[in-house]
Amino acid sequence: MEKENKSTGIDTWARNPLVVGLLIGILAALVQVLLISAGGPEAYGFCVACHTRDVVNIGVNAVAGTKLAAAPISQNAVLPVMTVVGVLIGAFISAKIYDEFRKKTGSAVSYLWYLLGGLFFMVFALFMGGCPYRLGLRTGYGDTIAFIGILAIIGGVLAGIRIATFMTEREG
Amino acid sequence: MAAGWLSKEIALIAVPIVTLIFGILIGWLGQRSGFCSIGGFRDFFLFRHTRLLNGYIALIVGAFVGYLVFWLITPAAFEHFFWLMTSGFTPVPGAPAGLSATGYVILAVIGGIAVGVIGVILGGCPLRQCVMTSEGNIKSLFFVIGMCIGSVVFTLWISGLAIGLLKGIV
Repeated sequence: MEKENKSTGIDTWARNPLVVGLLIGILAALVQVLLISAGGPEAYGFCVACHTRDVVNIGVNAVAGTKLAAAPISQNAVLPVMTVVGVLIGAFISAKIYDEFRKKTGSAVSYLWYLLGGLFFMVFALFMGGCPYRLGLRTGYGDTIAFIGILAIIGGVLAGIRIATFMTEREG
Repeated sequence: MAAGWLSKEIALIAVPIVTLIFGILIGWLGQRSGFCSIGGFRDFFLFRHTRLLNGYIALIVGAFVGYLVFWLITPAAFEHFFWLMTSGFTPVPGAPAGLSATGYVILAVIGGIAVGVIGVILGGCPLRQCVMTSEGNIKSLFFVIGMCIGSVVFTLWISGLAIGLLKGIV
C-alpha cells in the first residue's frame, strides 16, 4: 500500500532500516553513558523483552506487594525503564500522522495463539537475557555468548520457515 | 562504581524520562521502516531480501561504534567494554544468574532457537509486534499481553527451575 505522498527528507531516512539500525545502536550507547550511574546492567539501552519485564514486574510488585526481579537500574530509579511504553506511543503517533492506522482483527483462536506465542517468546527471550535487539547490543559490547544466541536465532528462523511452509502446505 | 554523565541522584529521576523519549523515537522509526530483526533473517532466507537484515546488522555495528566512541570519552560508564577482553567467555548480566559458561551457552541456544521459531511463525520479533499493536493489529496486542504474562511466569517459576536444572547438569 504505497501512498503517492511525497515524503520529506527526514521520512526517507526514517524508512531506511539501515539508518534506523545504526541510530538505535548509537543511541543505546548514549543511554548507557547518561544513565549508568542509576545502576546496571551494561549494554541495556534497548531491549523489548527485558524492559517489558522490568515494567511489568515492578508494576506487579507495586500492586501486589510481591518482590519479582527486575534489573538494578529499574529497581533503583523512581520509575522503571519506559522504552517499550515509548515504542507503543511513538509507533501510534507515527501511524496516525501517516494515516497507516488500520484496525486488524483475527479469530478467537488466533488471539489465543498470539497470547501463548507472546508468553513463550518472553520466557525463551529471558533465557538468553534479552530479545534479539539486546543480543545485538551485547554482541557490539563484546559478549560472545550473545553472539551464540544470535546464531541460535538464525537456526530457529530456518526451522520456523520449514514449519511454516509445512503448515501452509497442509492447509492448502 | 560506574559513573555516567548524570550524577546518581539525577540519573535515578532521568531513567524513565530518557528511556521514554528514546522509546518514542524507536517506535516512530520502527513504524516508518518496518524494522524487524527476525523478519530480517526470514526475508533473507526466503527471498534473499537484505533490506531488513542490513538494519539488524547496522544495529550491531552502530552499537559497537557507539560504545567505542562513548567509552573513549567516558570510560567509567563502560566498565567492562570490550566484554570479551575484560570478562572472557561469560555473558553480560541479564540472564538467570550464577551459571557456568556452558550453562549460559545452553540457555542461549535453547532460547535463540525457540525465539526464532516463534518469531517466524507469528510474523515478527517483539519490536515489530509492539509497532503492529500501535498500528491497530489486535493479534499483536495479544502477543504483547502474552509477553507481559510471560514475564511474571518466568520470574515466578521458570527462572529458578532453569537455574536448578542447569546447575544439576553442568
